[in-house]
Amino acid sequence: MTRVAIIGVGLHPWGKFPEKPWTQIMVDTAREALADAGVEWTDIQTLIAGSQIWGGRKGTYAGNYFAEVMGETGIPIINVNNACATAGAVMRVAYMTIASGVADLVMAAGVDKSPKGFFPSLPVYHQEPMPSVDTLRWNIGLPNPVFWALECRRRMELYGVTDADLAKTKVVMSKHGVLNPKARYRKIFTEEEVLNSAMVADPLRLYEICATSDGAGAVVLCNLQKAKKYTTKPIIVAASSVASGVYGDPTARIPSLGINPKPGVPIISESYVAAKAAYDQAGIGPEDIDFVELPDNSAWHPLQYLETMGFCKEGESHLLFRKEETLIGGKLPVCPSGGFSSFGEATMAQGFVQVYEIVKQLREEAGARQVKGAKVGIAEVYGAAANNSALILKK
Amino acid sequence: MTEKRQILVGEGLFTWPSDKPKLIATHCKSCGDYFFPKSFTCHNPKCKEKQVEEVTLSQRGKLWSYSVLYYPPPPPFVPRDPFEPIPIAEVEIPEGLKIIGMMEGIKPKDIKIGMTLELTVGTLYTDKNGNDVIGWKFTPVKA
Repeated sequence: MTRVAIIGVGLHPWGKFPEKPWTQIMVDTAREALADAGVEWTDIQTLIAGSQIWGGRKGTYAGNYFAEVMGETGIPIINVNNACATAGAVMRVAYMTIASGVADLVMAAGVDKSPKGFFPSLPVYHQEPMPSVDTLRWNIGLPNPVFWALECRRRMELYGVTDADLAKTKVVMSKHGVLNPKARYRKIFTEEEVLNSAMVADPLRLYEICATSDGAGAVVLCNLQKAKKYTTKPIIVAASSVASGVYGDPTARIPSLGINPKPGVPIISESYVAAKAAYDQAGIGPEDIDFVELPDNSAWHPLQYLETMGFCKEGESHLLFRKEETLIGGKLPVCPSGGFSSFGEATMAQGFVQVYEIVKQLREEAGARQVKGAKVGIAEVYGAAANNSALILKK
Repeated sequence: MTEKRQILVGEGLFTWPSDKPKLIATHCKSCGDYFFPKSFTCHNPKCKEKQVEEVTLSQRGKLWSYSVLYYPPPPPFVPRDPFEPIPIAEVEIPEGLKIIGMMEGIKPKDIKIGMTLELTVGTLYTDKNGNDVIGWKFTPVKA
């Protein structure tokens, strides 16, 4: 297989941009990535793009409408949707396009504008004999954070995780996010502030659930042998995996109403499988990783993911936060970008926050957020319906 | 004036009308697994025969985990005005399934993991036409 490198990245500042068309958000971001790579749009041989769910029909074919305003060149465009894990799937398809030798220069891109508050239900136009689990759960009053809350409460019961432990995850992310000019929330939160924020889905409080944002990311990937033509600092894609759920998964996944757990199947099995596949592909293990970008959709996620990704034993992740090992400068910096906690979710694009951060870190261009001596970083991104993807990048 | 009606949240989910409503599930006679809501096939990838039958599930189970929703859920759910927090249960039943549903008849501070709950059927919300949308819920069993 052809080895693959990242030669350019772009990330739009995150926030709410009602006055700016999403196509423009995407174009600005793509141009940043192209300039970073030193290539022209007309050099790009394939575009892999996130397919939005909030943007109606136009958003579904986001890649095509983005290419229309960039200037159409007739290249293959593939629109991908793997829920909030879409950027990881986009990276995987882009990676495979080069690894297979089909193309040498590929753009991976994603942009989204989010509805306010809880992500809402979407209309179903099919005629069906029974409502789907997803239709039912909205009628029972189950927005996404309730599912995370169920897992989180169980964790607290089993392992003695406290409200303060949950708040600490937000504190850590905010200490990193304040240093990131692209982040939406740039303020250090104290444990007290987090604990005083409104309860949303007990035990998860307002500041422990990521906001919903507008944002975009773009990555230029290149055949490693040809990357030297464009950059002296190619970042090598050591692994790009996508995984789905395993039968018997015990998780109260989004959406589920009847869970059929089987012995030996890990919680968030899709995430466990994706991480393992990435380590196997890269030929390394968690002990070789210098920092981690994980999907901190809520305060439960960092605790679960540190275990799922193999960085500590089950039930011990909160101790890493207590010992402040997860801060930049600690043993295992977690989300030096500031995470989704500092950016907010933008389903098609959030995984690109992680890719951008790892590339910047490995190039030693992360400024005040720089993880000293970072050589290998891993990202994992999580989506509804057991979608997951992991990415390992190295110098 | 139109009469207030009861609307099922979905067909084929629980026995109704009934004094002792039960959830309707699929049981695979080949591998023994259960599925709720019911399905037209067995979902076990290792099961070859996939001989399924419709069954009803145990009405009682133990609270595996819970949440309480303090913000009104989005449409189609219609929250009460003023909004009252909604307790949510994940209940482990003898068949091995964990079922998620609203809890009623309990205050958030009294919820305890491991407590025994029983299936009931009641109003999930009242829709914009004034009809009660009914579905399964869980209520604590008095010791």
